[in-house]
Order: sequence, then structure tokens, then C-alpha cells
Amino acid sequence: MWRYAARRVGFGGIQILAVALLAFALVEALPGDAAVALAADDPDPRTIARIRERMGLDQPVTVRFWEWLTGLFRADLGTSLVSGRPVTDILAAALAPTLTLAAIALALLLPLAVGLGVLAALREGGAVDRAITSASVSLYSVPEFALAIVLVAVFALQLGWLPPTAVGVSSLLAQPAVLVLPLVVLLARPICSISRLVRAGMIEALGSDYVEHAHRLGLSGRRVRYAHALPNALAPAAAQISRTTDWLLGGVVVEAVFVIPGLGTELVNAVAARDIPVIQGLALLFAMTTVAVNLAADLVAFRLAPRTEVVA
Amino acid sequence: MNAPPSPSHLSSGQAARPPRPGPVRDVVAVVLVAVPLGLALLGPLVAGAAPERTQPFLPDAGWLGSDFVGRDVWRQVLLGGWSIIATALCATVLAYLVGAPIGLAAAMTRRRWVDEALLRPLDILLALPSLLLMLLLASIAPPTAWTVVGIVALINLPDVARIVRAGALEVARRTSVEAMWLQGESRVAIAVVFIGRAVLRTLAADAGVRVVGAFYLVAAASFLGVGTGPDTSDWAVMVDVNRDGIFLTPWGVLVPAMLLVALSMGLNLLFDRLLSRRRHEEHTL
Amino acid sequence: MSHTPREPASQERAADTRVPAPPVVSVRGLTALAGPHRIVDDVGFDIAAGEVLALVGASGSGKTTTGLSLVGDARAGVRLEGSVDMAGTDVLGSRPPAGAVAYLPQHPAAVLNPVRRIGGVLREIARRHAVDDDGAPPRRIGRREIDARIAAALRRTLLPPPEELFGRFAHQLSGGQQQRLVFAQSLLCRARLLVVDEPTTGQDPLTRQRVAAELGELAGDGMAVLLLTHDLDLVRDLATGVLVLRDGGVVERGTTEDVLYRPQHPYTRSLTRAHFAGPGAASPESGAPAQAAPGPPRIEVVDLIAGGGRRRGARPILDTVGFRLAAGECLALVGPSGSGKTTLARCVAGLAPRRAGTVRRDGAPLPAAARRSRTQRARVQYVFQDARASFDEYRTIGDQVARSAVRLRGLAGDRARGEAVDMLARTGLSPDHARRRPAALSGGELRRAALARALLAGPEVLICDEITAGLDAVTRAGILDLLADLRQSFGISLLVIAHDMAVVARLAGRVLVLDGGRVVEEGSVDRVVAAPTHPLTRDLLDAAGAHRDSDGATATARTRDSPSAHP
Repeated sequence: MWRYAARRVGFGGIQILAVALLAFALVEALPGDAAVALAADDPDPRTIARIRERMGLDQPVTVRFWEWLTGLFRADLGTSLVSGRPVTDILAAALAPTLTLAAIALALLLPLAVGLGVLAALREGGAVDRAITSASVSLYSVPEFALAIVLVAVFALQLGWLPPTAVGVSSLLAQPAVLVLPLVVLLARPICSISRLVRAGMIEALGSDYVEHAHRLGLSGRRVRYAHALPNALAPAAAQISRTTDWLLGGVVVEAVFVIPGLGTELVNAVAARDIPVIQGLALLFAMTTVAVNLAADLVAFRLAPRTEVVA
Repeated sequence: MNAPPSPSHLSSGQAARPPRPGPVRDVVAVVLVAVPLGLALLGPLVAGAAPERTQPFLPDAGWLGSDFVGRDVWRQVLLGGWSIIATALCATVLAYLVGAPIGLAAAMTRRRWVDEALLRPLDILLALPSLLLMLLLASIAPPTAWTVVGIVALINLPDVARIVRAGALEVARRTSVEAMWLQGESRVAIAVVFIGRAVLRTLAADAGVRVVGAFYLVAAASFLGVGTGPDTSDWAVMVDVNRDGIFLTPWGVLVPAMLLVALSMGLNLLFDRLLSRRRHEEHTL
Repeated sequence: MSHTPREPASQERAADTRVPAPPVVSVRGLTALAGPHRIVDDVGFDIAAGEVLALVGASGSGKTTTGLSLVGDARAGVRLEGSVDMAGTDVLGSRPPAGAVAYLPQHPAAVLNPVRRIGGVLREIARRHAVDDDGAPPRRIGRREIDARIAAALRRTLLPPPEELFGRFAHQLSGGQQQRLVFAQSLLCRARLLVVDEPTTGQDPLTRQRVAAELGELAGDGMAVLLLTHDLDLVRDLATGVLVLRDGGVVERGTTEDVLYRPQHPYTRSLTRAHFAGPGAASPESGAPAQAAPGPPRIEVVDLIAGGGRRRGARPILDTVGFRLAAGECLALVGPSGSGKTTLARCVAGLAPRRAGTVRRDGAPLPAAARRSRTQRARVQYVFQDARASFDEYRTIGDQVARSAVRLRGLAGDRARGEAVDMLARTGLSPDHARRRPAALSGGELRRAALARALLAGPEVLICDEITAGLDAVTRAGILDLLADLRQSFGISLLVIAHDMAVVARLAGRVLVLDGGRVVEEGSVDRVVAAPTHPLTRDLLDAAGAHRDSDGATATARTRDSPSAHP
């Protein structure tokens, strides 16, 4: 276990470093000189010189990378090219709404996904199973923004039950109604994929020789279902969480649609404005979160099914 | 034939199969796919010339109102599906064209470091959220449709390479491959006939999921403005740019959004149906 | 494996079962129908506590279906009729009373939960069956007593103590430990009937002896045991009664002694003759070419080191092994599982890479894996242990076999196919078999096809890996005859890997005993059997063939009768 964990942490470290390199390379990869590209709308030599100086482009690449990297450890991610504010400040301000959304989503995800998967498996072939399976198959890869618009049209505009966006809301938690639609959209995809896996794993486990054996040994039906079959169904689900990382970023689109001032909105704005330092900072933050979540899920999967070697 | 299979083989094999989708579900799936697909493919042919622009977000202009710059929404709907579907298909094909040889090479090589060198970098890519990768790359690449094709293909590359490698490796390690080698068959012949066949089966099973995934990514990219300008005729872009007018002309947002949802749901259902039929056939072989 | 040899438990048991106890299970008119086909046809028997009833028959004879009907497991599409009476209730088609019946399948790992620790499951079982020994109603008992009961069950089944075992998962145990873990679980749930499916298939003789001793002890504890097997050695060592099945019907029943040594039915006679004939029945002419003229060795292996992974310093599977194989000679590779037999054979065939050493054919070095020319491949052919896996499931047997002639002898397609059919006929398969795909052939038929495929290449050396493992006695005898005959008519050298000393004695002139990747003994079969020098060889012989030369004595020692085998 510990050896596996150590190897896995090492791999996560390499991933984060790779993203750091990629994020840094962004500036280098810009065609021509980054400063020229950034000033494309306003090709005034003085602007270019100013940008160049601010980005330290007059120094050699290695020096700049080293300074950037050491800056990371001092929590210095540079300043925004657009607003001039330190990137860390921007990230800190945008963190709260994103974290709120992510924490609630994560807290709801596992109980709902596992519950639906188990329910479908226990009613295999019945109406409940058909409904759950059809819904999870069809909703599996629906683009969040499109689903969000349809839901807003129905529940906010037509029925008027829920607010359409978070515009003008000071704190998400102060008006929980604002959170309902974003959460539904955010959860749709991961619930579908995980509940399908739980269902398949549970059905396979329920039909397995070891479950039949446990019945023969006289253990109660409940214990056989939940203490013997279910753990086997959870391992692939945990491994899946570590493998599908897209849904973490589903938040970006959801924030954009519902106008929630979180990290996703910052990312979209930064990309639109080509605000490289902010993009770099956000990329690192997202990469670290992803790596941490993957790591946790992999370790859980390993603990649940010690034979599954997920990565490395 | 005469060796009785243990009960577990039968029961687990049957149990792991999803419930047989009923005919209702099939009809629903076909309709969900046919409407958006028909609009996307035939739309550009019947759209005709652009009428005069009207006021932005005018509910009475045309059938579905006008969009954020006063264009006819219905005409934009007719024009806007083709690019998403074409981009997704191109990206899938490109991912296979590049990824399959990488996976095959990794599986066939006898040198471990080649295998590592081919797949480790992909592992690192694979572990990153694809949208993040897309936004990062989009922030430096020129904003064209081919950029999106390239990025979506790149995002799918690690998966494709892994799947092909795993499929080929499983086959290459079989005793029957060793037996063929002992019969004097050349490595190339074994690879083409035997491993190729297995890999094709793997890819056929994978293609549906991959196309739907590419469709999802392309739509999300367009919505976020990667590779498209705001005046592009594209369903995802329409959802983004017409959002401000949702109270005045809801159809300008809702129709493209519904088309995207319908196409995505329908494709999921159809491919799932194909897969479960294939699985069924393999079980009864 | 620290196994202390013990007296056969069955003999101690004889005294305990003098008074016939009421049967634990009583089967009447059991019939299994799959469509119009009768898989099991009117089978009936009783098993009393302490008895071991063996169901004997070839694969497909209905053994497994019968056994599974007792544990409440019916295969899909199979309809069961008749009755299975346990303690006054008919349990056919339903699950027997909780904990009353335990089942050990051929692969014990299948019934052990892969993600639960061993200790947790054992505690669950013990708590569930926390009844006092005098049969008083359940009461809550403390964790300490539960652990004490588990510790006792583990001791009884020779498993490691709780502190070593509890934290582990099933896949971290050896196959034998997994088997014994199921035994321990059966003890904890106080099972009255234990159904055991092919517990010794593919095991070496030492393992078989151990399994027999353990099952004998469980029966001695008062469990009724139903043994499904085609291993007649195990039956002789363990069973009190025997039921011979063929095509779903009972052809013979009686005490072990009667059925094995005085069989009435022709089928039983063919089974026992094929099995117990042993080396004595080996046709003398097939033994003769073993002492081939000592010429230059056809195959010479020198200081071969192979296997053990890529890491430097890792212990190799084969550690400096060498041998010679003369033209027309048959050499047997013998040793316990994991001793390196298969690795050695695969190195000779060019299927496995080697770290060091040379393999020569007629004095010229053979390159390592993957670099052999077509001729070199043709001259050294290999018959895989898993014949089914060695065929492509999508092409017909005839087409696949014919490829040997096309690629290695340059024949045109039609002629190659003709020769393939001829060669299949020599191995006992009809042109009809040639037209089928592998899925439509039985395991024995596929081994014959694999043999034909290898022979069609025109080999000088044929390597056979466990060519008879898991086959019933009649099929096995057929294959051995065929090999002996082929060696005569083609003059090829044979290198056979075998667990079974009877196979070795039947085919080989010389034997090479491997242990832990080294050669521990080498010599003529006669010499090694008569006077083994290495303790391992002695153990292998003791476990496998010792009673063969004293069959009469063993038979007279068996005077137990088995009333319940006559329902």
C-alpha cells in the first residue's frame, strides 16, 4: 500500500511539473514574440516594449523559467496583464464560489451515484432499472451548457421556480436556490458514468461465485449484498473517478452559463483576453486539484481492490 | 462443448449485460438523432440567401425571431449544425490515425524503453482535464476550426493509444500467436491478420463513445469561443452569443441547445444499443 | 510446504462409521434436462456423515451438474427433477439450509471475495454460526470466543495463525491455502455436506496427497463429502464409495475397492485398466527405442539461465541447467509446480528468451527466441498445455493445421489441406473435425489437433507440455498410445513435461528432475524409479506411483464397506 502510494504521489508530482512546464511554454510558444502577439490589437512599439519588460522577455529562457518556478514556491504567480492585480489575489477572490459549488457537488455525487447504481442492480431488468439505465446512458455526454439552457428555460423562465443565473447574488450560500440548477447540471455527467459502473459491478458481483458462496455459508442477505457484493462494485467506480477528470472542469462551463464569479469564469475571461499569467496560475491550480483528486481516488480504489493497478 | 461450463461463467456473463432496450427506446433514439442530424446535413442546402438583417433580438422577425446581430435565427439553425459534426468526426478520425500506430508500436516493441517513451508522456496528458488542455492550447493557437480538430484529437490520443495497445498486447501474448509463429508465420503476417483483427474489433467498439466524446468537446469549445468567432454559424456559438436575449427571443438559445442535447442523447442511446447487441452476439457465439 | 506424512485418514475413520448413521443427504431420481438433452439421468445416492462418495466419469458425464444441484446452483436453461433430501426437507432447486452445504470448486479463488480481508469474512461466518457445541440456541458470544473458534479452525486446516492470515486478501494465498481456507470456512459454518469439484486437476502428486489427507480429516470430523473427480488415485486414497457416471447415467456403483479392482461394467473396466495398468502395461516395443543408439545429441542444452524478470540480480527461474536429447529418445521433465519445467521447454522451442547459455541442434547453435529461421522452427515443435488457447477461435481446425505444411514445407494450399486431414486422421480425428472451429471440439480432441499441427511441420524434436493433464483415463491412454506410436513411426525425439509419473514411465526412457530451477536428479526411468537419490524424487514417487507396485496389498487393506452407496 505505502509503496504504491509513494509511487503514485511521485507520478502526481511529475504531472504537476509537466503542467507547470506546459503553462510556461505557453508564453514561449506564442508565434513570434509573446509581447508582439499580446499587443496585436495595438502594435505600438512602446506598448510592446512595456509588455516585454513586464514579462521579463529580455532575459534568456532558462533564467525566466527558473524565476517563474521559484516564484511559484513563494506563491508569486505574477500579475495580470489586463487588470494589473497579482494573480494570487485574483485566484483567492474567485476561489470561494467555486469551492462551494465543488464541495456540495462532491458531497452529493457519491451517495446519489452509488445509490442509483445499486438500486438499478437490485431491480435488474425491472422498470426502475430501465428508467435509471436509459437516463444515465442518454445523459452521459450531453454538453453542460446546452443542458443548462434547457433547464433554465423550463424551470426559471417557464415555471419560474428557480432563479436563472447568479447575477447580483452576494454569496451563494445566502441564497441556496441559486445553487440548484448549477448543481443539477454539474452532477449530471459524473452521476451517469459512476452509477452505470456501480450497476454493472454490482450485477456482476451479485452473480459471482463468491456471493453464492457467502449465501451458502449462511450469511444474511443484507450482509451479502452490502458487505460482500458492494465493495467489489465500488472499486471500478473509484478507479473511474480518477480516470474521468473532465467533470471537474464541467464547472468552468457551468460558472459561465450561470454567471458565477468563480475560477471557471476567470479562466474563460483570461483565455478570451489572452491574459497569460492568469491562465498559467489557473492551469496550475486546476492541475493540482485534478492530481490530488485522482490520487485520492486511486488510493481508495487500490484499498478497495488491491489487485487493480490503476496507474504506473 | 461437452465440458460443462461452471455456473459463474454463464450467470455473470448474462448478468453483466444491460437490460434489453425496448423498441420504444430505439424509436426515441432514432428520432433524437434524425432531427438534428437532418437539420445539420440538409440545412445548408435549403438555407438559401441571407435575408436583410433586422433589429437584434426581435421576436417577430422570421419564424424564431432574430439573433444578437439581427440575423434570422431559423437560418442560423439550418447552417449551424454542420460544422460541429464535421469537426467532431475529423477529430475522431485524426485521433485514430495517429493514436493507433502509436499503440500498436508500443505493443509490438520488444524494447521496454520504447514502450515507456511512447506512452508515459501520454499518461501525463491523460491525467489532465481535457477542457483545461483545450483552453491552454487554444490560448496560443490560431483560432480556426482545424485548431479545434487538432486539440480534440490530441485530447483523445492517449485513450486511443492505450486502448489499441491493450487490445494488441492481450492478443500478442496469446498462446495461439506463439503457435502461429511456430508454424512459420512471419511476425508481420501475425500482426496484420491476428492482431489487426482484434484491434479493429476493439476500435469498432470504441468508435461510438469516441465520436460522442469528441462531439461534447467540440461543442464545449465552440461555446467557450475556442476556434470560432462570435458571428460563426454554429449551434454552440449561438447558445453563447444569444444568451443575453433569452428573455426576448428564447428560441434563439433554446432551439440550438435542444438540438445539441437531442443529438448527444440520441447518439448515446444508439451507440449503447449497438454495443449491447455486439456484446450479445459475442456471448452467444 | 511443511507437510508431515500421515496414515491415510480413511483407515482410522473405518472404525467410527461401523454403525450406519442416517444419511446427511439422500438423492433420488435426480434428472437434469437441457431442452431435450438429458445431462443427468435418474441418479440416486446417499451419503452419511463421515463418508466420501466419489462421482467418477469423463468430462461431460454429468458430474458437475449433479454436484451443483446439491449446493442449490442450477445452470441457466437446465431443468432439474427428482429430490435431494437433507434432514427431511427437499432442497432441490433451492438453496440448502444456511451453512449446511459447502462447495469447493476446482478453482477455489472463485468463491473467495477478492476485496475482503480474510479475517473479516471468517469473523462474520463465525458470528453467524455462534451456536454452542451442544446445539443450544444461538446466544451472543464475545469476540474472544469467536477468535478462539477461528483459530481452532485454522489450526485444523493447517493454515497460518490469525495474526498472519487475517490482514491478507485471498489472492495473496497459494492455491492450496485457498482450498484450505474454504475448508476452514466450512468448519466454521458447521457444514454437514462438502461438495468438492476436481480438487487435484493439474496438481502434482505431492499436492494430491495433501488434499486427500485434508479431505480425509474433514470426513473424519463427521462431514459427508461428495467428490467429483476423474482422478482415480484420489478416489482410491479417499473415497468410501464410488458412483461411475457416463452420459449422465450411473453405470456402476459400489465400494471403492469393488469398483476400482473388480469393475463389472465395461466402461468402468476401460477406465480402471487405462489408469491402473501403470508402467507394467507399457508395450515393451515402445520402451525399446528409449535406449536409442548413443549418437551425437540431437538437442544439447548447456548452462541455460532464463526467466525471473528483467531486473538485474533477480533470481532466475532456470539456474544453469543442461541436458542432452538423443535422436529418437524420450526424455521426461519432472518436478513440482514452479520448478522451471515449462520455462526450460519454452527456451528449447525458442518461445522464451534466455539470459545465458546455449541450445544446440545437431551441434549447431540454435538462436534464442524470435530469431529462429523457419527451418529451425520446423525442426523443434511444441505442443502447448492449453490446446484450446493455442488455436485461433475463428478459423477451422483443418485450415489452421494445414498452415504448418504451407509455411514450413512449402506445400500448396490444396495439398497442405489434404495432408492436414491425413495427419488429423492419424491422431484420431475425422475430416468432419477438420471442418469445425475449435469451440466445437473437446479438450482431448484439441490436443490431438495440436499434435497433428506440430507433426505436420516435420519435426525432429517434439516438446509436449502436460499433454495429458486434466484428461480422463481413457482419453489419456489414447494420447499416450498415439505418442508412442508416432515416435516409432517418425523416429522423432520427445521431450515431455509431466506431473504424472505414470505418464513418465509409460513414455520416457530417461528422466530429468527439476527443483527450484536446477537439475536435482537425472537418469534412466528404471534407475530413478527403482533407486531415487534425491529426496524430492522420492517424495514425487511416493506420492504418485508407490502403491502401483503393490496394488494387491493396497486392495486387501481396504475392507471397509459403504452401505450408503447402494440406495
